[in-house]
Amino acid sequence: MNDRNLVRGLFIMTIALVFGLGSLRYSIGQFSRAGPGLFPLMVSCLLFLIGLISVVRSHYVARLPLNFNLKNIAIILASLCGFALFSQHLNVTAGILFMVFCSSFAATTYSVARNLKVAAGLMAVALALHKLLGLNLPLI
Amino acid sequence: MEALHNLAFGFEQALTIQNLLFCAVGCVVGTFVGLLPGLGPLATISLLLPLTYSIPTQGALIMLAGIYYGAQYGDSVSAITMKIPHASSIVACIDGYQMTLKGKTGLALFTAGVSSFIGGTVAIVVLTFLAPMLGEVAFLFGPADYCALMLVGFVCVSFVTTGSLLNGMAMCLIGVLLGQIGTDVNSGVPRFTMDLPFLAEGVGLVSIALGCFGIAEITKNLDDRNERTPFNGKIKLMPTWAEFKRIIPSALRGSVVGSFMGILPGGGPVIAQFGAYAIDKKFSKYRDEIGSGAIEGVAGQAAADEAAARTSFIPLMSIGIPENAVMALMLAAFIVKGIQPGPNMIATHPDLFWGLVASMWIGNVFLLVLNVPLVRYWLSVFKIPYAVLFPSILFFCCVGTFSINNNLDDIYITAVFGFIGYLFMRLDLDAAPLMLGFILGPMLEENFRRALLLSRGGFATFVTRPISGTLIGLICIFVVWQVAAFFLQQRRKAAAPGIVVGEF
Repeated sequence: MNDRNLVRGLFIMTIALVFGLGSLRYSIGQFSRAGPGLFPLMVSCLLFLIGLISVVRSHYVARLPLNFNLKNIAIILASLCGFALFSQHLNVTAGILFMVFCSSFAATTYSVARNLKVAAGLMAVALALHKLLGLNLPLI
Repeated sequence: MEALHNLAFGFEQALTIQNLLFCAVGCVVGTFVGLLPGLGPLATISLLLPLTYSIPTQGALIMLAGIYYGAQYGDSVSAITMKIPHASSIVACIDGYQMTLKGKTGLALFTAGVSSFIGGTVAIVVLTFLAPMLGEVAFLFGPADYCALMLVGFVCVSFVTTGSLLNGMAMCLIGVLLGQIGTDVNSGVPRFTMDLPFLAEGVGLVSIALGCFGIAEITKNLDDRNERTPFNGKIKLMPTWAEFKRIIPSALRGSVVGSFMGILPGGGPVIAQFGAYAIDKKFSKYRDEIGSGAIEGVAGQAAADEAAARTSFIPLMSIGIPENAVMALMLAAFIVKGIQPGPNMIATHPDLFWGLVASMWIGNVFLLVLNVPLVRYWLSVFKIPYAVLFPSILFFCCVGTFSINNNLDDIYITAVFGFIGYLFMRLDLDAAPLMLGFILGPMLEENFRRALLLSRGGFATFVTRPISGTLIGLICIFVVWQVAAFFLQQRRKAAAPGIVVGEF
């Protein structure tokens, strides 16, 4: 299964199936009076076909290994979601602090002093965006 | 002669001290805000629109146009140096970023600046002399023709990005499907929203762009343990004469493509960039280098982008129909100022129309003489170590997402697309075709359904109409050529095992 071409084909087919099966929940209608499900169903069928061709093709080309490192993407996504969550329930200042301190775990080095400086700089930028451009950021 | 007289009248309007100031401020502020990773032209105009409320009508529109061009140039700067683009600079990421990796950031930025100037100048000539006539070209296109035009766009994109028609088309179609999320405009049925209220309006373009490009790129740099951004902080702006000579033909080709594509609703800067890039890849003397950091790869698309941005004002001002989100914002600005763009605008507000046209060229000059030399100072931000820079980029991604709808929920969507973009990257699926599919998907569906409705369900309408028939014929020829080339290469490979086989 560690074949990038094969996984790519299967991934494309999965997306096609998700949207294709989802579109069956809506009215298909007729070509002359298409329902909301017709167009996504047609596109999904075409996408499924492309995925199938990719899977078949993967048997005839050289295998390429897959290279996933989920640690960094997980840290980045946690930082983004944390920023949104803290900004919603507390304020943007807390959101910035969380994002900087959390995302820095993905960097090659970790420094609390550096994080504090970056967070202070970003808070200043957020304040400038709020005051000068009228961006409606919940700062406090 | 009448056109020249009108243009002179426009310059008379635009060359007042006040309007020159508005134009300069718009260009500089637009560039600076657009330069910030995560803020593209759409977000920049959205943010700066309130600034123009207290300014006189003509000055406000001139300033907004300046913000638009400035943001476009600023956006291409962040695309070239950091591979963080928006719709207006997706193609700049391909060769522009490759040039940065080769240490030619200055040359790439100079090429983008000069090519934008050439593209903008050609487009203004087109706008001045052909605006009334070219505005009517759009009326020749029926729904089936729009569908065929968009399919041409998809094939172009698939061809120019990964070099694999299969992967490119797959990404286009995934983009089209993502564009289906939200409320169906014909029936009012919410589709693929999973009963989440914030998906009723669909997924935001900015969320997908920032997720698939910005977040994925940051993660890639972190995975590679990069200490700094690929941009090394050194800038040599001025090219050699030999390099400069390579810019001109490509920029002129891009200008023509962009001027034409900009007029067509469904065309616009995004498809124009890809069209110009495909043409360069086909006809340029240095076509073999395109994709690996060639000057032509930056020049053609930058000229087309700028030209299309200018000529996309034609449908807005002559028909009153905005062809993309940026133009929709411009329409909003017109309406706020009590102006209704449409067929009567040139006759009823000649000072506004021609003043805006003239200010476009003045804005071009400002971009060239102010921004290109100044960019070396602004780029000093990128000399910062990556451990400091990437949390800042994440913050700007969040602000860019939030600023569109003032909604923090959109950041979750950006995070989801960050993960999807990471998967795409690891599976060698280029996200650029996805963006085009996403932008054109809803228009494709609307025109597809309309074409079938008009033809009572008959698919023959797509081949019997001269324009769509020709375009679909071209697509068929291209696909057959690609398949034949793939099998021919396979056969050659079988005959001589040393040859590297291209992808289908």
